[in-house]
Amino acid sequence: MSIAANRRSPLLQTFLGAFLILWLMVAAFPFLWTLWGSFKVEGDFFSKADWSNAIFGTLTEVETGAPFTLDGYYGAWVQEEFWRAALNTLIVVVSVVVISLTFGTLGGYALSRSPYRYAFWLLIIALMFRAMPPITLVSGYLLPFFQWNLWGHLPTTIIVLVAINQPFTLWMLTAFFRNIPKDLDESAMVDGCSQFQAFRHVIIPVMWPGVITTGLFSFLLAYNDFAVTAMLLSKENQTMVPKIASFLGTTQTKGNVMFAVASVVSVTAPLFVLVLFFQRQIVSGLTAGAVKG
Amino acid sequence: MAEIHLRNVSKRWGSFVGVKSFDLEIADAEFLVLLGPSGCGKTTTMRMIAGLEDLTEGEIRIGDKVVNDLTPKDRDVAMVFQSYGLYPTMTVYENIRFPLKVRKVPQVQHDEMVMRAAEMVELTDFLHRKPAALSGGQRQRVALARAIVRKPTVFLMDEPLSNLDAKLRVSTRAQIKNLHHELRTTTIYVTHDQIEAMTLADRVVVMNKGEVQQVGTPIDIYDNPANTFVAGFIGSPAMNLMEGTMTGGVFEGRNVRIPGFDGVRDGAVIVGFRAEDAALAETGEIAAPVYSMELLGDSSMATVQAGGTLVAIKAAKDFSAEIGAPVAASVPAAICHLFDPATGLRIAKGAA
Ligand SMILES: Nc1ncnc2c1ncn2[C@@H]1O[C@H](COP(=O)(O)OP(=O)(O)OP(=O)(O)O)[C@@H](O)[C@H]1O
Ligand SMILES: [Mg+2]
Repeated sequence: MSIAANRRSPLLQTFLGAFLILWLMVAAFPFLWTLWGSFKVEGDFFSKADWSNAIFGTLTEVETGAPFTLDGYYGAWVQEEFWRAALNTLIVVVSVVVISLTFGTLGGYALSRSPYRYAFWLLIIALMFRAMPPITLVSGYLLPFFQWNLWGHLPTTIIVLVAINQPFTLWMLTAFFRNIPKDLDESAMVDGCSQFQAFRHVIIPVMWPGVITTGLFSFLLAYNDFAVTAMLLSKENQTMVPKIASFLGTTQTKGNVMFAVASVVSVTAPLFVLVLFFQRQIVSGLTAGAVKG
Repeated sequence: MAEIHLRNVSKRWGSFVGVKSFDLEIADAEFLVLLGPSGCGKTTTMRMIAGLEDLTEGEIRIGDKVVNDLTPKDRDVAMVFQSYGLYPTMTVYENIRFPLKVRKVPQVQHDEMVMRAAEMVELTDFLHRKPAALSGGQRQRVALARAIVRKPTVFLMDEPLSNLDAKLRVSTRAQIKNLHHELRTTTIYVTHDQIEAMTLADRVVVMNKGEVQQVGTPIDIYDNPANTFVAGFIGSPAMNLMEGTMTGGVFEGRNVRIPGFDGVRDGAVIVGFRAEDAALAETGEIAAPVYSMELLGDSSMATVQAGGTLVAIKAAKDFSAEIGAPVAASVPAAICHLFDPATGLRIAKGAA
């Protein structure tokens, strides 16, 4: 890597560096702006008089006595009980990831090792379901859910999210498993494993980066979902994303927009931590070659 | 300890025949070598015995159990894979130990057994590396150690030495032989190295295109090849096979005339002899110009054209002749083997 980089001309080097910095700024700006603004009052962040108020916090100083305030966070987390939504999100996300990874690894392994044609058709059908917009599924579910009194509860949402997510996990994991040579299963079985033990002791350890990567994608799907959670959850069971939307929806009361901004920052922060924490697995999972022996 | 019976074992993929009605009884404690050119079905046969490949037809028995429907783990075999099949996430030590762990060998014995196997294949310096950080030969030795770490009913070894250098190959070969002598475990060993086959085997099975050509002791196969394929495959150089016709007990072909085949039927025939059985002479049954000369070290090899093919004759190491110079070789009927050109099968001398 470093050898190849050294061979580039200094001009190209400078250009590439400048481009990267520019690109980084453009990409990071909205987030940084929101992060900064979340510590201001609404009058500053959405200032009609002077946009630079959002930077210097003129009104924030007038209203609270300091250039930064935690009012937005306090309002969202304590007053509006955003922590409940965070807890619900945690429950939904963990359940969705665990369930879809469990079925995904077992099913993906079976499909990748199956010599029969039906494996292929199963995957094609899964792909078709994946291609549909989630809302088409939800609108179909809505009426029966009301009638059977299933609407509004977390488990219902979890099941629907798993159903939407499963085809994708299955596809991704099958692809990962196909990359693992069959010799590994076979030598494990001759060494004394049942097929399941071979899967458990030999294949899964090799698959780990793939499982992490797929798990992360499932996580993001559940974490970011709006369509399903907004439609299927009652107000007291709301997860974070629809909760933010509801902050925005009630602009009559001043400060709610700032609650939304503060909770947007709260929602984004864990993603950074997550990606930083798993970055090695993600990279090696995406460059599937690392899976091979 | 067990004998293995293969009864009419066949493997087909669609219309492609991988192994064709394989019939064999392997005695307890026997060392059997499967020998044949690439793609002849050696690995397939072995995989069927291990339980990794379903049989299209036939029956396999290990001991007195029919194992057709048993999973690999219930057949109690240990196998060295041609492609190693090492576990990439485990260290060499853990790789070798894995069979002990899954087969619930008491924990206290593990270390000693692993170390013994590792020493046998000279791996003790690499025990804490992952397979990715090993050379091909080292990986192969890990695969071998993993197989010999416990005492199975049957050893299956698929070209376990193919990636070792010459020196290590000789010493590991000796170790395998010694190991077999010590453990008396029935062993099936695949190779396409004849020297390995000859030195290790109690019996050799020569295969070609999925079919068994001959089963016999190494000497037997060398001295009495059952057909032209075996004759042309075994030995280095392989047997010279000349085409010609037999008339009244005299074989004649281009540049060759060998009398003395009394009682052999007239007609087209293939005559074979080994390079080391013939000798250059003033006059002889073969007379032809030298085609090429090769120095082998302990001897040299003269090649001439005779009977529609190139024929090699062993000569003393100080023998030299210009290419094109006439030479003669004595090839008495006594050293010759006869084959039927239509079927390739051996014709017994004196009879028929
Ligand atoms: N799954 C399969 N489907 C179709 N044909 C196969 C399959 N596996 C093996 N074969 C064919 O069966 C034949 C025998 O293969 P096998 O691996 O037993 O050869 P081999 O004698 O071990 O050769 P080598 O010495 O090169 O390892 C080959 O021609 C191969 O192409
Ligand atoms: Mg093979």
